[in-house]
Amino acid sequence: MWLSSIAYYFFYPSFFIPVIFPGLIFILIALLFTIWAERKFAAKVQMRFGPFYASKRLGGFLQLVADMIKFAFSEIIVPREVNKTLFILGPILITGFSLVPISVIPISSIPQTGSILSPYYGVFHDTYSSLSLFSAVLTPYSLALAIALTSVVSVLVILTAWVTNNRFAMISGIREGYLSVSYDALITISIIGIALEFHSLDISKIVTAGIPGIIANPLAAIVFLIGMLMGSSRFPFDITEADSELVTGPYTEYSGLLFVMTMAGSYILNFAYSLIFADVFLGGWTPLTGFPGALLTVVKAMIVLLLSVFMRSVYGRYRIDQALRGSWKYVFPAALASVILGLVVGPWIR
Amino acid sequence: MDKVKEYPKGENPFKLFADHLAAVGTGLKYLVKPTRITLKYPEEAMTLPTGYRGMIRLYKDVCIGCTLCAMVCPADAMKMATEEGKKLPMINYGRCVFCGFCVDICPVDALKETGVHDAAFSNRRELVFDPDKFDKDYDELPSGEILIRKVKTRIDEKKGVIHEPDQ
Repeated sequence: MWLSSIAYYFFYPSFFIPVIFPGLIFILIALLFTIWAERKFAAKVQMRFGPFYASKRLGGFLQLVADMIKFAFSEIIVPREVNKTLFILGPILITGFSLVPISVIPISSIPQTGSILSPYYGVFHDTYSSLSLFSAVLTPYSLALAIALTSVVSVLVILTAWVTNNRFAMISGIREGYLSVSYDALITISIIGIALEFHSLDISKIVTAGIPGIIANPLAAIVFLIGMLMGSSRFPFDITEADSELVTGPYTEYSGLLFVMTMAGSYILNFAYSLIFADVFLGGWTPLTGFPGALLTVVKAMIVLLLSVFMRSVYGRYRIDQALRGSWKYVFPAALASVILGLVVGPWIR
Repeated sequence: MDKVKEYPKGENPFKLFADHLAAVGTGLKYLVKPTRITLKYPEEAMTLPTGYRGMIRLYKDVCIGCTLCAMVCPADAMKMATEEGKKLPMINYGRCVFCGFCVDICPVDALKETGVHDAAFSNRRELVFDPDKFDKDYDELPSGEILIRKVKTRIDEKKGVIHEPDQ
């Protein structure tokens, strides 16, 4: 009896999603895997082996664990002339606000019976889409809210750069400001195109429309992917934390666990964007429901995340002016075209 | 230098996009079919060519003590030591430049170049080899459970540098 009540609270979506499955604990493991995969991919393309000797059987996977232990035991140095509170709060806010969007993205639907999630059918019933959603927060505007929450992070990066009071951090803060203006416009306009096409800002309605967004509006998918690479500072838009020119940009003065948090922040943000991409453009959980559906969505998101870290091994880094010119001259018209495509194709999608 | 090839700017954006796709495709091709040119050195070692100028060894019985090797040594690494009335060379690997002059000049071939180049020492005194130590062959593998695979390097037209097991 008490076991079932504990299970009820354990699997309660508002707890389970942010803390366990696509949330904190899963993300910690996924983060280690992603960084390991990033290094392995880059090594393969560049004819090297990558991390190997830390654990030969696992292909060097424990190298990341070793790195994490090293960071955990290293000293956190706070510069003398910074605002101490904001300096420590910066990376924490970045990591925290990168996690927040995950809680508004529905990752699966709940069937009425026969699933481990079925007890929540009534609690998480969305009257707007007449579905029960496996999502921590129910809202009919989940797409708009998720995009809005992801765009907060760039402001916090600028805050971190400012509070660090280092000239590298200042330059990278300005670069982040330039970039955030352009990628937010791209992502928002591509999302508007999708919303017009599917007549909804609700992710669940877009997923259950039956046709994945990448087929319905490939232009918006490409624009969103480029915006995602820019927003989470992956290559070739690794301009804010360009480590060969600006040490590590806004995070120059950070050390120890705070540095881990700054690094984790951009990967978590990338994962949140990948979840949105998997739901909106790759069909989300469509054939499945319940917990397998959530697994399917997260596997798709992981594939998108791996693709975006794979870009490191293909591209170099653009200059800031090249990135801005590319985004406003080529990608922005494509985003507008995706809106028109959405308007044209929209009437056929029910 | 007066003729630099200029790439026209403002090209067809569709061609630019196709180029980007081609770049990612090439990357994926390398990801699926990786060709590694890195040698896993402690486990794999390259077979060295004959005549490789590695560490030098002495044949004590052959040596006639003519001091030519010590005389020709450009780095002053070779010195003569007197042992029971016989002059024998000793070498300081801290000074040796592996030029091989001593091997070339020896009139009785008492010195020989071995294929060993990867010796490690923990202090400078160990670098000086007295005639007894100098007399031993350095070719033997380091004692231990590590199995060293000898590989040969071949250049393939399609794959680039590949390492093949030797023998």
